[in-house]
Amino acid sequence: MSDVKTYLREWAMPHVLCPGCAHGIVLRSFLESVDQLQLDRDKVAMVAGIGCSSRLIGYVDFCTLHGTHGRAPAFATGLKLARPELNVVVVTGDGDALAIGGNHLIHAARRNIDMTVLMLNNAIYGMTGGQAAPTTPEGAVASTTPRGNTEPNFDACKLLIGAGASHVARVLAVNPLEMTKIMADAMTHPGFSFIEVISDCPEYFGRYNKVGGGAEMLSWMAVRDEGITIPLASKKFVKTLPPSTPLPGMQTGVLHREIRPVYSGVRGGQ
Amino acid sequence: MPEPSRGLLLAGVGGQGVILASMIVADALVRAGYDVKQSEVHGMAQRGGSVFSHIRWGSNVDSPLVPTGSAEVLAAFEWAEAIRWVEYVRDGGAVVADIRTIVPPGSCTDTRSWVTRYPTIDTGLFTGRHLKTRLIDASATAADLGNARAANSVILGSVAAFLDIDDVHWEAAIASLVPQGTVEVNLAAFRAGRTVSDAAIPQAVPDPEGFSGPHQIEIRHDWCKGCDICSRFCPEFCLDVDIDGKLVVVNSDACTGCRLCEILCPDFAITIRPPLEPAVAAGSAEALRSDT
Repeated sequence: MSDVKTYLREWAMPHVLCPGCAHGIVLRSFLESVDQLQLDRDKVAMVAGIGCSSRLIGYVDFCTLHGTHGRAPAFATGLKLARPELNVVVVTGDGDALAIGGNHLIHAARRNIDMTVLMLNNAIYGMTGGQAAPTTPEGAVASTTPRGNTEPNFDACKLLIGAGASHVARVLAVNPLEMTKIMADAMTHPGFSFIEVISDCPEYFGRYNKVGGGAEMLSWMAVRDEGITIPLASKKFVKTLPPSTPLPGMQTGVLHREIRPVYSGVRGGQ
Repeated sequence: MPEPSRGLLLAGVGGQGVILASMIVADALVRAGYDVKQSEVHGMAQRGGSVFSHIRWGSNVDSPLVPTGSAEVLAAFEWAEAIRWVEYVRDGGAVVADIRTIVPPGSCTDTRSWVTRYPTIDTGLFTGRHLKTRLIDASATAADLGNARAANSVILGSVAAFLDIDDVHWEAAIASLVPQGTVEVNLAAFRAGRTVSDAAIPQAVPDPEGFSGPHQIEIRHDWCKGCDICSRFCPEFCLDVDIDGKLVVVNSDACTGCRLCEILCPDFAITIRPPLEPAVAAGSAEALRSDT
């Protein structure tokens, strides 16, 4: 195994992310999967919008494109159509992908453009001060919901399956080996791949909800029961629960995979 | 005085099809007109535990258990099981053994180099007993035929070569007991097992790869933010964050090189390098154990 640090722009390190933020673990797993696939680093293009997760592309030694808020899938669509030989990877956050850029994401999925979208879900807007996002579980405290969020949250994977993504998976940041495997699988998949990574935000979500720092949030993310995860990937936020209490959670692993025609921009094309 | 009953033993590891194979043997013997009794133990089978089955047949059988030193044939589906059960075989009996090895985690004596006490494959163990031995690679033979799970039929084919039961009875028993849709491959595996030759025995286990001794933990303090994830997740308690938020190695000797800290570090600050001492050779594992 080669050292994944060779894929980093070492002069730019250390990165700006807060202590305990799991986004760095996700970046490392992604680099491991690129290393496993032996991709040419000049043929990997990472596209991002705005947000904590989007900052990751500043630290990787690939082709990188920093777009506008929520529009990373749109930039990536143009890039893939103009340069089809590139492996296009979009790194986006939950607010970036589902709120600001919701339309761009579902239409890229509908067209089945050959790209991989990594959505790093920390269940909150981290960069702007901890506001509630469309993924904040019901009952969780954010700076805009001081008495607990009253809205139901998105199940991003179900949304993307409905929109037509041909490879949809959900993984936990505490499980980097599975994450590497699924990312490598998604990058080799022909068509639109969507991976929701359940990450953490110790600085806002962890602090407001009195969960603790990065280590506590990661151990708290553990799989409670077969396919049921707590609590960032759950529909309802419950901080303390006796062990073995099943929660209305969301499943992890590869949730959907199909092979269907890939959009190439040419009428009657592939 | 009726002729004394005869015995056969099947031994393997959970999941290899030992029980199905013993049902097939018993069925074939019944079809051949014998009185048959069979007894099996399959404790911890799903977790790779030992599974064995006694079969006795003759004109009149009273007990299903094969006494020590009286079995005509031992069919071992795995190498360590062959050694475990060989004392049940009578002098001049036959041993059919798969050279497949399934190493139990409990035999590991060093968590760093994965040295195990698993016995090496050595036919010399059987020579003093005048046993007819046949060491085969049943899974490879079955895989060549298209289904590695038919390995138990390959072993039955080899066993049939040592017993005087007509092939008609064997094939009828296989056809009636194996799962639907696998009859053809199992019959082909059975016929292949009759003619299969001794497998090439792999050389004695080579020295373990890699290194033993503590691994080298490298920390880039200019990248580390002291988030405490590594020290909280380290199973051997090697790392700690001191009062100033600086990561320190508190017990480098205990590091087994699992790399959990490295892959969970969000800041790319930890690198685990292999240790400098060479690995302990397999032979000295016992010495290592008795020292401590």
